[in-house]
Amino acid sequence: MTHHLRRLRGVARSPRTGAVLVGLALAAMPAVVGAQEEESGGIAALGFSLPGLVAQLINFTILLVLLRLFLWNPILRLLDERKKRIEEGLARSEQAATAAQASEEEARRAIEQARAEGREMVQRSQETAARLREELEAQARAEASQLVARAREEIALERQQAIQQLRSEFADLTIIAAERVVGQSLDRPAHQRLIDEVLVSSDFGADGATRN
Amino acid sequence: MRWLLIGLGVLAFMIVGMVFVGGPPPAIIVAPEAVFHWGPLDVTNTMFTSWLVVGFLLLLGFFVGRNLSLVPSGFSGAVEAAVVAFYGIVVQVAGEKNGRRFFPLVATIFFFILISNYAGLLPVNAVIGVTEPGHGATQAVFQQTNLAGADVAYIPFTPDTVDEADAHHFEEGETPTLDEDGTFSGILAPYLRSVMTDVNAPLAIAIFSFIFVEYWGLSTLGIGYLGKFFSFGRLLRGNPMGIIDAFVGLLELVSELSRIISFTFRLFGNIFAGEVLLLMMTFLVPFVLVNVFYGLELFVGLIQAFVFAMLTLVFAQTAVSHHGGDDSHGEEHGAAHTAAAEGH
Repeated sequence: MTHHLRRLRGVARSPRTGAVLVGLALAAMPAVVGAQEEESGGIAALGFSLPGLVAQLINFTILLVLLRLFLWNPILRLLDERKKRIEEGLARSEQAATAAQASEEEARRAIEQARAEGREMVQRSQETAARLREELEAQARAEASQLVARAREEIALERQQAIQQLRSEFADLTIIAAERVVGQSLDRPAHQRLIDEVLVSSDFGADGATRN
Repeated sequence: MRWLLIGLGVLAFMIVGMVFVGGPPPAIIVAPEAVFHWGPLDVTNTMFTSWLVVGFLLLLGFFVGRNLSLVPSGFSGAVEAAVVAFYGIVVQVAGEKNGRRFFPLVATIFFFILISNYAGLLPVNAVIGVTEPGHGATQAVFQQTNLAGADVAYIPFTPDTVDEADAHHFEEGETPTLDEDGTFSGILAPYLRSVMTDVNAPLAIAIFSFIFVEYWGLSTLGIGYLGKFFSFGRLLRGNPMGIIDAFVGLLELVSELSRIISFTFRLFGNIFAGEVLLLMMTFLVPFVLVNVFYGLELFVGLIQAFVFAMLTLVFAQTAVSHHGGDDSHGEEHGAAHTAAAEGH
């Protein structure tokens, strides 16, 4: 309220308002005087009267000053403020739209990149998997063949041993049989040597693996 | 069929009103009547009403001005919308810069006249007032009675009227001597009366309009503004054709001054005639038909307020425009001037 009053005083003090008020007084005079003079004439019946006119002038002055202070100026200020805000808002929304577009672009790029990376990764992993499978296969095959080879070796060894054993048993049996047949005991070492000679010259057991 | 019945009903209602509810013939008094006496000042009813209107407008302005917000809402938002719409018209006519200058005066004129005119249409006008025994040409017969210790005069339902010639004249301040049946004849001076039916009110606004227009012209164009009225330049240089300029200047001066009169009597005449029309129609056909004229007066009240404000605006705009020797310029303003003047 006090600042309203201060403003009111400011309005009253401004030279413009002063000029207007002086002009008002000057302009009111002739009209008022004229009305008074014509009081006796026919126009007085219309109701021209100095107090009435002054009262209406004061009324209108009060109305003009106070409404200007309390209503017209605040509304004009409000309009300006609103206009400013709307302009700011529009500018800001435009900015926001641009930013949004940029970020959307960026997001799309990021997604694109991510997708590409994903594809690459999947491809790489597929490749890795394929390589691993191959390696594993190869290893497994190698191991298998190694196993087979070892098994073959072992089989060959066991066969050799079995042949060896069979051969020695066979020699003994042969000797025993020969003793039975001859009826005499042969000189065992000499005999053995003979049989070995026979066996060596014979095919049996030498390359039995292939023969079998 | 239904509409016919309704129409017949309304007609019957109107006839019943005309026959049984006739008031006294209205006393048409041009000058406002004094209803209060405050020392040396006679407060007239239009003065009193104008204070109420000014008070209402100030309260409204104060309330709305305090409740203004960037996001308009509620009652103040509605008032603000009306004011802003009017501001839009002002700016459209006078442009942004001049519109801002002119707006406070033009808006005050518009809203003051509008609210005054509409307040003048309230049924409380011309109904309650002080009795003036023995005044006026046609007088109603009042019935005096005593209500709760106070003397109250009223006009009965089936009133009698007395011509002035037959009426007893009372001196100022004399208490009416009652007839044997407790009646006296006189007129009713209402407390409330439409503000613009007092010729002083339009005159005051017209003076304001005139002063501001001249002030704006002077402050914008400087002393050269007066050259429009006192154009003796060519005459002083010895050109005899300068007489035309001087004469045109004189005409301009007269037309400028006569604006006060035309402003005053346009508004006064319209609103006073409207009030007389309403009073007479209420007297002749109390029901239904008078509503049509109330509608008409609503329109007239708005239009007159708008015309007064717009003419002020156009005159102000003309005053601040450069004149010089530019003929097309002058014609343009003349055209705007005439268009606005014919617009009402």
